[in-house]
This record gives sequence, C-alpha cells and structure tokens, in this order.
Amino acid sequence: MADGKNQSLFKGRPIKILLAKPGIDGHDRGILVLAKAFRDAGMEVLYAGLLPTPEEVVETAVNEDVDVIALSLLNGAHMTVFKKVADFLKEKNINDISVVGGGTIPDPDKSKLEEMGITGNFGPGTTLSVIIDHVTKRAAEARELKML
Amino acid sequence: MLLLNTDRIVSGVLAGEKQSIARAISVVEDPRLSPESRQIIKGIYNHTGKAHVLGITGPPGIGKSTMIGMLSKMLSQKGHSVAVLAVDASSPFTGGSLLGNRIRMQESLSKFGVYMRSLANRGLSGGLSRSVWDSVMVLDAAGFDFIIIETVGAGQADLDVVYLADTIVVVLAPGLGDQIQAIKSGIMEIADIYIVNKMDREGSYIALKDIEEFLAYSVQGEWKVPVIGTNSLTGEGYEEYISRIISHRDFTGKDSRTRLRRYRYELKLALEDEMKQKIDSEIRRLVNENAIEDMMSSRTDPYTAAESILEDLLSSDSAD
Repeated sequence: MADGKNQSLFKGRPIKILLAKPGIDGHDRGILVLAKAFRDAGMEVLYAGLLPTPEEVVETAVNEDVDVIALSLLNGAHMTVFKKVADFLKEKNINDISVVGGGTIPDPDKSKLEEMGITGNFGPGTTLSVIIDHVTKRAAEARELKML
Repeated sequence: MLLLNTDRIVSGVLAGEKQSIARAISVVEDPRLSPESRQIIKGIYNHTGKAHVLGITGPPGIGKSTMIGMLSKMLSQKGHSVAVLAVDASSPFTGGSLLGNRIRMQESLSKFGVYMRSLANRGLSGGLSRSVWDSVMVLDAAGFDFIIIETVGAGQADLDVVYLADTIVVVLAPGLGDQIQAIKSGIMEIADIYIVNKMDREGSYIALKDIEEFLAYSVQGEWKVPVIGTNSLTGEGYEEYISRIISHRDFTGKDSRTRLRRYRYELKLALEDEMKQKIDSEIRRLVNENAIEDMMSSRTDPYTAAESILEDLLSSDSAD
C-alpha cells in the first residue's frame, strides 16, 4: 500500500448500522432517537421499520453488509427474538457483524444475552454518548473480522 | 499486498452468493479507489454486460422508492431476477446518513428475493460515479436480469451515472408546480420513459398532457418516448410500464452504440480515478515543507510558485 503500513481497507469509512425492532412491538420512539443520534455521529444508518421478522433483519444485514445490528424491544420478548437473530447469524456462519441490544431488559437477562454475543443491552435513560461509544467499539471488532 | 481475499469474493459473486456480492460492493463502493476494488472489477468484468440497467430519477418525495418496490415485485413475478441500488445523500457536516428507501420496498425484498443495497454518497461527487457503476458491475456479474439504480435528480443531475443506464426513467408527479420547469433542467433530453406517479392525485391528467405536449415539440429519435401514468400503491399503469421497459430493452439490444458509449464512459471513469490518485500523490510530493517555507519567506505568490514548480517538473521530464 502506497500510503503507509497500517492501512485497513475499511478504515475511515463511516460505520454502517442496521436498527431493527423485530417482533410485535410498536414502541419506536427510542429507536428513532437513536437513528438520528447515530447519523449525527457520522454513521450510515438503516432502519428496518416496524415489525420485521428476525429472518428479514439478518437478510438485510447481510445484503447491506452492515458492521452492527442494533436491536430494540420494549415488549419483553428479547430473550426469544434477540436470540433468534443471533441464531440465524450463527446458522449462516456470519461472525463479522456485531449485534447490540437495548430496551427494557432486566438485569438477569443481560448476562444471558452477552453469552449469545448480544452486548450493550442499554435501558431507558442511557446517555447517547455511552451507546455511540459502545457501537463504535463493536463496529471496529466486526471490521477486523471482515478483513480475514 | 491485498488486504482481502479478492479471489474468493470474485468466485462468490460469479456464483451469485449474497454475502460475497454484499462484500464486493462494500469494497468497490468506496470513493477512494483501492487495489482490492481494481482486483474485483478485473475479476468480474468479462461476466458483465448481460443485465438490463434501469436508471430511475426524479425529485425527492415523488415516490421513487415505492415505485421501485412495485416494479421489482412485478418483474420478479414475471420470472426476472432483480437487484436495486439506491443512492442517498450523506450529511456534508457529519458524514452520516439515514438510508430509508428499504422500508418502502420491504414486501418485494422479503417475499420475492429482490436484492437491495443502499449507498450513501459520502459527501463526494468525485469518485461517486465510479463507485456506483462498479457496484452495478458487481450485480451484473452476479447474474441479475434487471438492475435498478435509484437516484435523486433534482434538476441538474448531480449523479450522471444514471445516464449509463440502458433505460432512463424520469418520474414526476402532479402538483409539483411548473412541471415543465422541472423537466427542462437537464433531465428532459435523457429520458427514455416518462412516468407521472400518484395518478390518484388532483391534476394528474394535466401533468400527463403537459409532458406529452412538451415531447410533441421536441425532436425525437427512433424511440418514441412514452408518457405513462402510474399509481404505485395499486399497481395502476404498471403493465404498460413494464411492457415499455421490455420493448426498450429489445430496442437498445440492437443498438451497438449503447455498448460503445458505456465502455467509453467506463474507461473515462477508471482513467480519471487512476490519474487523480497519481496527481494527488505527486502534489503531496511537490508541496513539501522546505519548498513552501522558501517561497513564503521570499513572498512568492502562489501562482508564480506553481508555475515554477510545473516548469521544473516538465523540464525534468523532457530531460529523461
């Protein structure tokens, strides 16, 4: 590479993130606030709209080659639906897309979600900068794996 | 050394694997041309040229995304494979963007296996045409029958890559004010098909008439440009729309000039990018600290300084 040694192919490109509320849940205020916050943080943001299935979320993430999938649910179905998203990714052998979560997630569930690779799991009232920092970190991890 | 296994990506694209197609587009969509981009395009180029490329353009809010949802659904139902590239604007301030076109096409995407990819323009006009067209080539090599490019064309085309399409569709809707004003500003001469969308709205027939009248006064070639009214929610007008697309495909298929024009443009884009990279690195080399300090302390104005640098450069070239 002409311009230095540590150049990564995806370095300096905006983070690409897919926001989704899979499952039956219409509480989209939070995710819409996040969509704007991520955009204003310089990311390329895709919003899957309301009521996509976990399959659609994974398919969209693959076709758009996103770095991060951010899931939000406030209906209590996260242990079922978030898990489905993680399972579909595993089924397709995809490890270079990070998954983060958020919504009304009780503390005992957080560690279980972490085990599935779904991190963050921020609740209402979390500062936007905390979420953005976390997404940025997870996106960097995904990008490392995309280069393999 | 390449940072990515481009051979694996190329063979995946040619086999039509979604993951490889998606990764290949991620590589070539970057406005900064990388060695990996070149490698991928070199690998797939001989497999391109089979798809029919539709360029759909029109002012924002006219219903292009909804239209592409309906169009791709109906084309799929007729047995064609369809891919969509939607280009959206990035914020010039933060570089971020909200890519929202997908929502309006969700049904055709999930039920009919339409491949869709959103591209942000990343605030760059230079290099964008190449990166969008390279993405089209990836989809072409992957074997899609139809590739639809969606761009916002608010007058003077900011994205001339749409002109590379085989069939260019200009979309308008009633109630935009002076229709003809909108058409005049650069996209008039280029349309192969005119669509007046939202035909359920008031004034739609006047809009149709306006365009037909405008066309009646323009010089037309062998292809008679149709004006079709559609309603993208009900599907009204789409049978005619699709049959015109197919007949335009047959029309351009016979025309060897289309192929030649495209190849000329591809070569021009590639050459521009290669030269721009060379020039950029050359400028970085020439505008070095010592030279700048000398010139500044002797209060040389920038034009004289640039002239003397260029003179030195040209004389050293001819000495070789």
